[in-house]
Amino acid sequence: MPVIFLGVSQSYPGKPQIIRCRSLEKETFSCWWKPGSDGGLPNNYTLFYSKDSEEKIYECPDYLTSGPNSCYFNKNHTNPWTTYIITVMATNEIGSNTSDPQHVDVTSIVQPDAPVNLSLETNTSANMSHLWAKWSPPPLADAGFNSHVYHYELRLKPEEKEEWETISVGMQTHYEMTSLQAGVKYIVQVRCMLDLGEWSEWSSERSIQVPKERLPPEKPRIMKCRSPEKETFTCWWKPALDGGLSTNHTLLYSKEGEEKVYECPDYKTAGPNSCYFDKKHTSFWTIYNITVRATNEMGSNVSDPHYVDVTYIVQPDPPVNITLELKKSIQRKPYLVLTWSPPPLADVRSGWLTLEYELRLKPEEGEEWETIFVGQQTQYKMFSLNPGKRYIIQIHCKPDHHGLWSEWSPEMYIEIPTDFRAKDMAVWIIVGVLSSLICLVMSWIMIMKGYRMMAFILPPVPGPKIKGIDTHLLETGKSEELLSALGCHGFPPTSDCEELLIEYLEVEDSEDQQLMPSHDTPSKNTKIILKETDSDSGRGSCDSPSLLPVKCRESHSLPSVLQTQDVRAKEKKGGKGIWETQCMASEQKTLPCNSESIKSCTWLAAQLPSNQAAMFAYHSTVEAFKITLNTTNVNTSPVLVGNEENRQSLYPIAETAYDDMEKISEMEYSRSDQTMVQVRQNQQNDNSPFLNPKLMDYVEVHKVRQDEEPTLLLKHKENSGKTKKCTLTGTSKEYTKVSTVVDHHILVLLPDQRTQNTPVSQEPVAETSQNPQQSQTEKNSSYSTTAPSDSRRDTSGSDYMDPSSFMPSFK
Amino acid sequence: SISKSNSLRTSLLLVALLVSHMLLTKEGVTSLPICPKGSVSCQLSLEELFDRAVKLSHYIHFLSSEIFNEFDERYAQGRGFIAKAVNSCHTASLTTPEDKEQAQQIHHEDLLNLILGVLRSWNDPLIHLASEVQRIKEAPETILWKAVEIEEQNKRLLEGMEKIVGRVHSGVVENDIYTPWDGLPSLQLADEDSRLFAFYNLLHCLRRDSHKIDNYLKVLKCRLIHDNNC
Repeated sequence: MPVIFLGVSQSYPGKPQIIRCRSLEKETFSCWWKPGSDGGLPNNYTLFYSKDSEEKIYECPDYLTSGPNSCYFNKNHTNPWTTYIITVMATNEIGSNTSDPQHVDVTSIVQPDAPVNLSLETNTSANMSHLWAKWSPPPLADAGFNSHVYHYELRLKPEEKEEWETISVGMQTHYEMTSLQAGVKYIVQVRCMLDLGEWSEWSSERSIQVPKERLPPEKPRIMKCRSPEKETFTCWWKPALDGGLSTNHTLLYSKEGEEKVYECPDYKTAGPNSCYFDKKHTSFWTIYNITVRATNEMGSNVSDPHYVDVTYIVQPDPPVNITLELKKSIQRKPYLVLTWSPPPLADVRSGWLTLEYELRLKPEEGEEWETIFVGQQTQYKMFSLNPGKRYIIQIHCKPDHHGLWSEWSPEMYIEIPTDFRAKDMAVWIIVGVLSSLICLVMSWIMIMKGYRMMAFILPPVPGPKIKGIDTHLLETGKSEELLSALGCHGFPPTSDCEELLIEYLEVEDSEDQQLMPSHDTPSKNTKIILKETDSDSGRGSCDSPSLLPVKCRESHSLPSVLQTQDVRAKEKKGGKGIWETQCMASEQKTLPCNSESIKSCTWLAAQLPSNQAAMFAYHSTVEAFKITLNTTNVNTSPVLVGNEENRQSLYPIAETAYDDMEKISEMEYSRSDQTMVQVRQNQQNDNSPFLNPKLMDYVEVHKVRQDEEPTLLLKHKENSGKTKKCTLTGTSKEYTKVSTVVDHHILVLLPDQRTQNTPVSQEPVAETSQNPQQSQTEKNSSYSTTAPSDSRRDTSGSDYMDPSSFMPSFK
Repeated sequence: SISKSNSLRTSLLLVALLVSHMLLTKEGVTSLPICPKGSVSCQLSLEELFDRAVKLSHYIHFLSSEIFNEFDERYAQGRGFIAKAVNSCHTASLTTPEDKEQAQQIHHEDLLNLILGVLRSWNDPLIHLASEVQRIKEAPETILWKAVEIEEQNKRLLEGMEKIVGRVHSGVVENDIYTPWDGLPSLQLADEDSRLFAFYNLLHCLRRDSHKIDNYLKVLKCRLIHDNNC
């Protein structure tokens, strides 16, 4: 079947497509289609349409009028109230294909053709240029019948510009334009629109040249004058608007002191609209009166005069030959050396022109320039550049007195190499920071667990304490009783140590052992104590004499820390010299005692004459009483220690002794048996049997503290086996009541008659353990107790509490 | 505590003294005696003289510019004084170099004499300026102070220049270069505008002449001391 084979290369037509339907004037319309593929055969196209009101299908009435592939519906076939459904069918030998249907509403497809016959005309009258534009409405197929009303728009622009200026014209077919620029070529177009539908295309372009104005030029303006090297100068002006006519500019000048007016010597050298004054024409310290005249065939105009003294208009060129060089200093730190030369035009060698320089720099990524004025030198060293950064550097210059800064020189870049040392430093800094961090953490832990840590380093005091002084007795002012109870005789009537505060009396009985150490005293406690003592200049000196010897020996070698503490504590006492004298005075008394290894000799000095023997202990006690009495306005006559000198000398020492206790114990007590008794005194309600002479032998009055309830603490540093002995002591006259026995070696005694108050602090005792090596503990601990307040006494700033209660024991 | 702080202060003072003493001894107080032992003529070198003169003239011109600018801003705005100030400096009769070439061609002795002449010509007006400027309405302290300062410094510069001229001159020093100033009455005019213009003009001329002197001195210094290779 050859026919079939033939048919393979040929096919039925492709689908035609209706491109557009358009009505030029609402009364007729046309539709255009695009043929599909022809299938290799000649095609026939047929347009069918139906109306929405009828079922009937019609064929196109006129395939010719609107050109190929179109259908023209003339007036008779056009109904503005009808929607047309239009399809196009392509047919060939093989078959046919039909387009998609197109719905057409005539009123919505109205777009007229562009106006035609546009013509332009210029008319210059007076000083105004007018432009006339005329055109015709778009032609229609039905020639000779054009009653439609169009709206027109006109647009125009100067030939060289992009933007159009659009003007709404109205229904007339001509327009007059004014305020056009003289001498400019304009392009004009028009378009039109019916009262409905779309604007037509723009008509074809028409252009016209607006004639040049015939006017004199406007005023030119002198922009600036500049001398680049203080030898010549140039002035520039802005030309006047010339209205298209050729205009000549003339620069005229006169010099101060001369009547004559000269014309610019050189219009060319410095470019258009400028005048160059060479050396011959340049004078300094002379005012130039400069004007520019613009002239055309219609007339001329002159600028405002410009007064110039060349001295003040020097603006040099930027410096040249800028070099950046990195050098290393002795410390291997890199620094930057900048050198540059003055601009080539400037003759600085003769001294005629002196330049000053300024440079600026910033890191490449930086925002702000750092500006450095460097004066007349032509080099500069920069030391403080950050390694590893890239810097931008620029320099400019200026005459020394007047004139303007030059432009900045081109940007110069320099990268500062990363300094090895800097890296090194960074490492060290990191190490330092880390280690200090660790230290911080450590110290924080220490503070949090301070007692434990301190206890570990400094074992706490064994703290048997006896609260045995009757505060009532103190209150009632029966000082004699008190004193006798304490075995004090010869209490001095007056004391220099008026504000004496005695922390407590401490009596220790030690057989073969030193004072109880309290190494663990946290620094906190010490501080508290010091604070307290701050306000009291005299108190320190009234503290335990046991410290005295050490003090004396150590006075020259006191650690500075200690000294400062002391100084702080006794601000009003002033010099350090006091210490020394006091030490000397006291040393005599104490030394004999120290040297003895006899039991309990240390403080009570049984071997010494009675008065003197108890000197230290008594002394403290006396002070305590005295204060008590003073505060209660009672005069005391009894004297525990006759020697006032001694007493005084002792006062200052005790306080400083805190830190030295360890040494004391080593030096003074190591071989002596001691009994230590802590006496706490409370001025308010305790009437205490202070010291029993019989107890003296093994009782050391360690400290007396004002405000405190007198307490005697009898301490055994010995083991549990000694407890009995203590008990015996405790039951002697004054302290007949044993309050507690703690830890098998600490005995708390209470006076019999005292029924009411004076609670015995038991915890401390229980907690304390003894460390033969360190007697300091007691003191510190007792001090530390002052901080917490006993609820019973409001008046006493510091009440008794055993420091060891804060401190874990660490046997 | 007082004694403590006192002692602290004392010790600090002592330390400071000690340190400063050490520094001083280390520095060695390098300034050489002006008249070295054995020197016959005890005098400054010409270079030193020029250095000082240039510094002084620089300073004087700086002050002159400042005082002119201040006056201009405060009293001369919008009055068009600059146009009137043309060709009215009392030193205009002294023919001075007007550009670099002239300044380089003139003999240095002549130039020195010209400088002396200009300086002398300003002696009188500066004295009157310093006193009359006090009468300007609401004259700011900065203007008053500068007028006095310029007058004093001008005298000092004149002294220095006479010394230099005496050193440089081979022949006879011309003492007669001098232009008199008769502008005092104009500084005392009743009409404020005229009076202010008289001040403006005087300050304008002062600025110009002080710059001339400064510029000439710098040229001379480079020529005589540095052989035109500054």
